[in-house]
Amino acid sequence: MTQPKEIFVKTDRCVGCLSCTIACAVAHSNSRTLFGAVFEKPVPKSRIYVEWSDPDKKIPLVCRHCEEAPCMFACISGAIHRDENGVVLTDTDKCIGCWTCVMVCPYGVIGRHLETHKAYRCDRCPDRDVPACVSACPTGALVYETAASFSGAVRKSASRELIRSEG
Amino acid sequence: MEESTRYLIAGGGAAGMAAAHAIREIDQEGTITLLTDEADQPYFRPLIPFLVSGEKKDSDMFMAGSGPYKSGNVSVRTGSLITWFDPEQKTVYLENGGRIGYEKILFATGSRPYIPPDIEGLDADGVFALRTMADARSMAKRAEQTSHAVMLGGGVLNLKAAFALLKKGLKVTLIVYSPEVLSQLMEPEDAFLIRKALDQAGLKIINGRSAEIVLSGKNGVDAVGLDNGRELSCGMVCIGKGVSPNVHFLEGSGVIVDGGVAADMYTACNIKDAYTAGDVAVAYDPVSGDRMVTALWTNAVEMGRCAGKNMAGVKTKYSGTFGILNATQVADEPFVSMGTVHTKEGDFEVQRSSTAGSYRKMVFNAGGDRLIGAVLVGDITNAGLYRYVIREKKPVDRIKQNIIDHTLHYGHFV
Amino acid sequence: MAYDEKILEKSIDPSVHKMLSRAAELHIETAWDRYEKMLPECGFGELGVCCRNCNMGPCRISPFDDHGPKKGVCGATADIIVARNLVRMIAGGAAAHSDHGRDLAHTLLMTAEGKSSGYEIKDEVKLKTLAVEYGIPVDGRTKEEIALDLAKAAYAEFGKQEGFIQFTRRAPEKRVALWKKLGIDPRGIDREIVEIMHRTHIGVDNDPVNLILQGLKASIADGWGGSAIATELSDVLFGTPVPVRSQSNLGVLKKDHVNIIVHGHEPVLSEMVVAAAGDPGLVSQAEKTGAKGINVVGICCTGNEVCMRHGIPMAGNFLQQELAVITGAVEAMIVDVQCIMPSLGPLSECFHTKFISTSPKAKFPGALHMEFHEEKALGIAKEIVQAAVDNYRSRDQDKVMIPEDKTECMVGFSTEAVVRALGGTLDPLLEAVKTGKIRGIAGVVGCNNPKIKHDHGHIGLVEELIKHDVLVTSTGCNAMACAKRGLLLPEAAEQAGEGLKSVCQALGIPPVLHMGSCVDISRILTVCAAIANALGVDISDLPVAGAAPEWMSEKAVSIGSYVVSSGIFTVLGTVPPVLGSPVVTEVLTRTANDVVGATFAVETDPVKAAALMIAHIDAKRKALGV
Repeated sequence: MTQPKEIFVKTDRCVGCLSCTIACAVAHSNSRTLFGAVFEKPVPKSRIYVEWSDPDKKIPLVCRHCEEAPCMFACISGAIHRDENGVVLTDTDKCIGCWTCVMVCPYGVIGRHLETHKAYRCDRCPDRDVPACVSACPTGALVYETAASFSGAVRKSASRELIRSEG
Repeated sequence: MEESTRYLIAGGGAAGMAAAHAIREIDQEGTITLLTDEADQPYFRPLIPFLVSGEKKDSDMFMAGSGPYKSGNVSVRTGSLITWFDPEQKTVYLENGGRIGYEKILFATGSRPYIPPDIEGLDADGVFALRTMADARSMAKRAEQTSHAVMLGGGVLNLKAAFALLKKGLKVTLIVYSPEVLSQLMEPEDAFLIRKALDQAGLKIINGRSAEIVLSGKNGVDAVGLDNGRELSCGMVCIGKGVSPNVHFLEGSGVIVDGGVAADMYTACNIKDAYTAGDVAVAYDPVSGDRMVTALWTNAVEMGRCAGKNMAGVKTKYSGTFGILNATQVADEPFVSMGTVHTKEGDFEVQRSSTAGSYRKMVFNAGGDRLIGAVLVGDITNAGLYRYVIREKKPVDRIKQNIIDHTLHYGHFV
Repeated sequence: MAYDEKILEKSIDPSVHKMLSRAAELHIETAWDRYEKMLPECGFGELGVCCRNCNMGPCRISPFDDHGPKKGVCGATADIIVARNLVRMIAGGAAAHSDHGRDLAHTLLMTAEGKSSGYEIKDEVKLKTLAVEYGIPVDGRTKEEIALDLAKAAYAEFGKQEGFIQFTRRAPEKRVALWKKLGIDPRGIDREIVEIMHRTHIGVDNDPVNLILQGLKASIADGWGGSAIATELSDVLFGTPVPVRSQSNLGVLKKDHVNIIVHGHEPVLSEMVVAAAGDPGLVSQAEKTGAKGINVVGICCTGNEVCMRHGIPMAGNFLQQELAVITGAVEAMIVDVQCIMPSLGPLSECFHTKFISTSPKAKFPGALHMEFHEEKALGIAKEIVQAAVDNYRSRDQDKVMIPEDKTECMVGFSTEAVVRALGGTLDPLLEAVKTGKIRGIAGVVGCNNPKIKHDHGHIGLVEELIKHDVLVTSTGCNAMACAKRGLLLPEAAEQAGEGLKSVCQALGIPPVLHMGSCVDISRILTVCAAIANALGVDISDLPVAGAAPEWMSEKAVSIGSYVVSSGIFTVLGTVPPVLGSPVVTEVLTRTANDVVGATFAVETDPVKAAALMIAHIDAKRKALGV
């Protein structure tokens, strides 16, 4: 089996434009277009968040689809499962909006859809080749790769840095 | 005929199912037999109020095939109440006459409702303590025949049952001896937003009173008498006064029971090849180290998984649980309560903040350098981060103001 | 020849397919490639909800996220931010058109004072008509004397502090009264633009409706002011256009000629280049280099200007400017102002093409700057042509690939020419509208935009309109699209509905009338005003509609605004950056009807856009009782 791709974040590349959040909300709207989505009720929600911390760090946060996903085990209605690609999904029909998943997620990336009273999170855009947030990122802060190739790339760039600093 | 299984799971609740599936992740071969005294296959117990209200059907309830409970090959025996356990022979004896030998056993028999002994007339038709799917079905049936329900106790489960009945169109009165609802999860002043929402939702709440007697006629319950002499006519009564662990079958077995089944840091009991998890087990608080019995779904699953791994031979340390760790929503008001939240007695630094639609109370230790508890009402965003900070005993110096202002996010740890 | 499916999707014009295929072969990027790289475009920008007007920001309002910011740092809501951004776009567009008008006033002034070289007053009749309009005495005065007063009067319109702009009074009385009532009867052209910049500064005007009204005011100062001045004074200096035959599309470039492209907007420069290219000395020099002659062609509105006055062929519209260079056959790309892609600099370096900028207002990286001044206009134009001629030797004929596509066209239907074509009076037109032979009149204008399949928005709409007996007046990039499609020929009447066809055939005119460059939308307004006055109604009562199917520029925003302010329903083919504001969207698409008697609509499908316009026209016909 080929290793599934995941969304990785290069925080040093994020400029805080929030394009990912718009693309995500649009990808999860009924119309799938920005100009349609802005008129939808309830308003489509983004599943990716860009947080800011001192001194000026911009940090995109999205569901990690954790190995031992606390949300999945904490769910009291069996609404959360992992699919064959390793994606942890919330089944909206089964969700009762008890927010136990919100209480146990250490990343704070599970949203509460107040209008429908359901939890929502990144589903890695099952209908798309590349998740909408990654496609939308203008700076390459979000990448969609297998864990192996991403960490390989990180290692390579780290060694380049090392070579450069050592002259 | 002697029947035997590699893994015997006593109890079909969250802990038992979590253990069974954790074992299967590691050991694909060993036989797993899961015993439940109920007639139903293992189900998501917290959903039973939805069965009462009709928002969920029987088929929505079952755990097998749902969420993380997808691995197969777990033999489930319903209607199997354990009456006696012989550690020498590694065998359990069932009420129905069967007996099963095991290599490893998990005690995950859960708990049952605590029924206050001082209330008269509780054996009448129409008196319930909502615990099982069977209870839920009969409550739903009874609710069709009456227009007023009286609930005894102001805990989460009783509130949920109350809302299920409200949804069915009943008038519902809640009798709470404590000054405010949810007294186990928060202090009265923490609950004002929730109380407001409950009142607005039409739930009638009587505080500071308790029931003394349930009066009944040929159709079962027809009134509840309070300690002030007042009588409330009603067609059903629901008791929600907490739970006590199911440990009776361990009497004389040598398994140490101290409030619940005692366990070491690896969920093992004092006798060989026996483990315990869930409501029946004595858990411990990772922050205070206090031993206690909880009735928490999240703990049952975590401890059950941990026990399952240990049973399958992967030594895994149990990470413990907060005595209080609840998230839910009643009357459209979401709230989270975790860790140390009762601060009336003892030395703590408490930071409260409220807006029109939200309230929070952040509890720090006396030195103010560790977060030890939190109550969030209305806005529960990022609640998981506070759990993380509490549980990992993170120093809060750099992020303390973010915690107080409720602006903490994972980026602060990157 | 078969092309990549992707290339066929970019345009309906076969010359574009060929050149994009050629560009791919040469690994040269074009606007289409850059557009694709830009995708997805910033959603905040698309919705108009980002604000950079002060340095507390940049701020942007979250359209979806409940946790996201709902107000800028100053407290501005999406409605305020969108309205501010929109009117700043209007300011940009009105400034561009009007500064173009100012340049014509300057040229006229210099000419009247005898300080310019090569220019003359070519249309004395128009000069006098305009002078009379301004109350300038004409009897017994020389054309230079009259022109001097007219130039000064026109000049004064820009810096005027009080009073009204003269050409706005061409609008029907009811319309002017409405503008006055709404407080949007513009004063000086510059003043209204400056006031937008003031009002949109941090902490000034924060009422979306009040902001939009100022936007409309500035746009009226453009359409009935700056643009009208540009049109009218160009006619005075270079002659009022009359119908003339020419050719269009990239096939007008000649493999064996020195090819000079004039690109941009103002005729001041291009007129002189055309004159210089006819200089016998330069022509013979060209021949000495081995060329058969000098071939001047136009792109964008400069192309429209010289085509309708001199029959100079039009090489293409906005999105074809890069493609023209990629033919490898262009000796000089001479530009002045507006809609000139800065990509032309690096692109020209891939070929022998000299990219020559001429306006002190518009310099480009990689361009040879040969600054143009009226005092020495002809001389400078000759130097520029000389540079092109000299450059012919550097052309690598192996690299030349000129698509053969070119189409005949008939251009130059100025207001005066339209009236002349009708036999000296509007009556036949009014009669045709009354009988329903002409269902209504549409003004279809505007740019190209890679968001829309090139020319498809224009042609899809125009063909649908004429099929339903709607007479189309056209300017700018739409006019060029129509030219390339053959719609500017009387023979195109065959494609029109029976009624329009019979009218066109009787008058010998095309069903789509080329009225000029984008400032010449003022001509369309003049025609509408004349019709309304003849019928004794307001423009908003007429069975007319406007459209900008492939619009992209700020000028187009100003155009749309003055067209709607004038009472004409307008359909936009690309979505303006306003949908982030419910209030602004509501005002533009609904409430405006109660205020100025017209609204905007957005429809990206050209056939559906035509249906909206036809439905509007039918409703107006019904209300008029015809």
